[in-house]
Amino acid sequence: MEESKKIAEEEEKWLLGTETGRERKDRFESDAGIGLKSLYTPNDVKGVDYLRDIGFPGQPPYTRGVYPNMYRGRLWTIRMFSGFGTPEETNQRWKMLHEEGETGFSAAVDSLTFAGVDPDDPIDWLEAEVGKEGVPLYSIRGMESLVEGLPIDDMSVALVVEPLTSAAVTSMYFNVARERGIPMDRLRGTTQNDILTMTIGYVPWHPLGPDDLLKLACDLIEYCTPMGEAPKWNPVNFTCYNYREGGIDAVQEIAFGLANAVAHIDELLSRGWKIDDFAFRLAFHLAAQKDFFEEIAKYRAARRLWYRLMTERYKAEDPVSKQFRFHVQTAGSSLSAQQPMVNIMRTAYQGLEAVLGGCQSLHTNSFDEAVCLPTEEAVLLAVRTQQLMREETGVADVIDPLGGSYYVEAMTGELEHRIWEYFEKIEDAGGIVEALKSGWLYKEMNKAFDRRRKAVESGEEKVIGVNCYTMEEEEPHPPFRTNPEAARIEIERLEKLRAERDSARVNKLLDGLKKVCETRENVMPVMMDLTREGATIGEITNTFRDMWGLWDVPMMG
Amino acid sequence: MEKRRIRVLLFKPGIDGHWRGILTISRALTEAGMEVIFEGFETVDTIVEAALQEDVDVIGYSVHSGAHYEWNRQLNQTLKDKGVRDDFLVIIGGAIPHFDHEDLQADGADAVFSPGTDTRDVVRFIEENVDR
Repeated sequence: MEESKKIAEEEEKWLLGTETGRERKDRFESDAGIGLKSLYTPNDVKGVDYLRDIGFPGQPPYTRGVYPNMYRGRLWTIRMFSGFGTPEETNQRWKMLHEEGETGFSAAVDSLTFAGVDPDDPIDWLEAEVGKEGVPLYSIRGMESLVEGLPIDDMSVALVVEPLTSAAVTSMYFNVARERGIPMDRLRGTTQNDILTMTIGYVPWHPLGPDDLLKLACDLIEYCTPMGEAPKWNPVNFTCYNYREGGIDAVQEIAFGLANAVAHIDELLSRGWKIDDFAFRLAFHLAAQKDFFEEIAKYRAARRLWYRLMTERYKAEDPVSKQFRFHVQTAGSSLSAQQPMVNIMRTAYQGLEAVLGGCQSLHTNSFDEAVCLPTEEAVLLAVRTQQLMREETGVADVIDPLGGSYYVEAMTGELEHRIWEYFEKIEDAGGIVEALKSGWLYKEMNKAFDRRRKAVESGEEKVIGVNCYTMEEEEPHPPFRTNPEAARIEIERLEKLRAERDSARVNKLLDGLKKVCETRENVMPVMMDLTREGATIGEITNTFRDMWGLWDVPMMG
Repeated sequence: MEKRRIRVLLFKPGIDGHWRGILTISRALTEAGMEVIFEGFETVDTIVEAALQEDVDVIGYSVHSGAHYEWNRQLNQTLKDKGVRDDFLVIIGGAIPHFDHEDLQADGADAVFSPGTDTRDVVRFIEENVDR
């Protein structure tokens, strides 16, 4: 107490001595609007109890990391989000990345796979989008080609598909593993399976309503985890990254993610499972945005909040249920189309945030990603950015190296407090599902994005190449182009599949899926049969649409 | 005589669901006093019909799928086939490389807006070029 009084007095004196009138701005604040002092002292972390609030890595409340030895034991996974053209071309890119040191895969799918539409569906000019923004995975045949020759019993694969098609695409993957004789309990990987990505991050063509999406998401979790069919598979990845990209701040990012997790937990508990039957497999995907220290504090605050949520609200006992594990992607929305080489530096700083914040895996963006999928040159540089951190900088040698910084600890506490407050606001709006239906979430997103746009347009938020240090007449960088033959190749692949499969059997299984849609039983057992027998993504997803109807998204808020 | 408000029809061709851009433009144009009709996902044929019926001045759409050449050609061709290409200002935005601007304009787009566009530049372009 004596010491803290003395520090306060000295701080006061020091402040008087600084020329505060000559600061660059009237008010300094973080990206989330938290007012910043010019200097932090022990007095800013007075309320912090080391053992209660910070503790040791691998121990509650996990502020310093979820594993006891963190990167001293195993470095984070280099996991690049990648997919384009055809499954064969994506397979080649994956092999190249693997050879260059990538340690985990992540499949970006095209808009048809995302929305559950076959390329030969009579929708106007659909072929234009085949293989354009990701790999086309319309049946088990595509999946076989995607992972051909890759050590999937040894390396984890993330399938970035959402509840409209997550059950179908994941079952294709599981069936390919079975074909190869790999036992399901050896499969490590993740399905993103995130209802908010499918509703506020990206609004797919002919979407299902939030209740149906939540049901499908929980069916996959239930099948993999408490039912034990794929015990090492992470059946959901609450993708806060995608919500953040829509313009919200760090506080909202984590609060949306926690509220989303709560919706799934409550649904699974209502199905009769216990929290420790499944919570150990719930994982997150966060953003690494511009504000360096705030982002690092955000990861630390998220771990502490998850621990408290699991302990206090859900009475979880298994320590793993209380460990907040997360993948990080550097912020695509922070990249500029102008002066694209600057993106290399942006990404390096953001990657460093993720590592200093204790992520489990990391995707670093390529410098050309503001305008197109990455070229081989650009993606290799992004992989090297991570390897540079691992091999040259020494940042992975000491755990949570910023722990104990007055500033970072104060920011961690402040964020924790604000995130919880905002989380309660979402609960007051009825929770995630209600907040989606009522449009509340859309209103919040639109408000946040408008604010951000105006900040950039007024110059208050600086973006190099966009509103400062701009250059005239830059020579545009030639973009990466996907295979123009992709549509023809994929339509032929489907025609061949339809000719070879037992279509009567597929139709019978589709009738079975309809029945399951009516009774609202778990869709996964019949889904495993369907994709094994060659049912297509469109046949499956249209069954959901026919049975449950479409949702009119209140996106204007 | 007072000019009538500029009428703009916005849509997303295809099935790609990257909505943030078009939603943002919709809000910015509305703020600038324009009348915005937001059609969501639509086929080009339906959009051309709607544009004629609603008597709009501008057709705007956004592409993030990398299929901007295809949609641009299809929209401009459909307008030409109906003999109404000159009735509208046609603008396209989205994740479009600057490298592609010239080609897109040669294929009929009046303006192309890539990431990092100041929405006031879109407003200015429409106000200066629209034929009411």
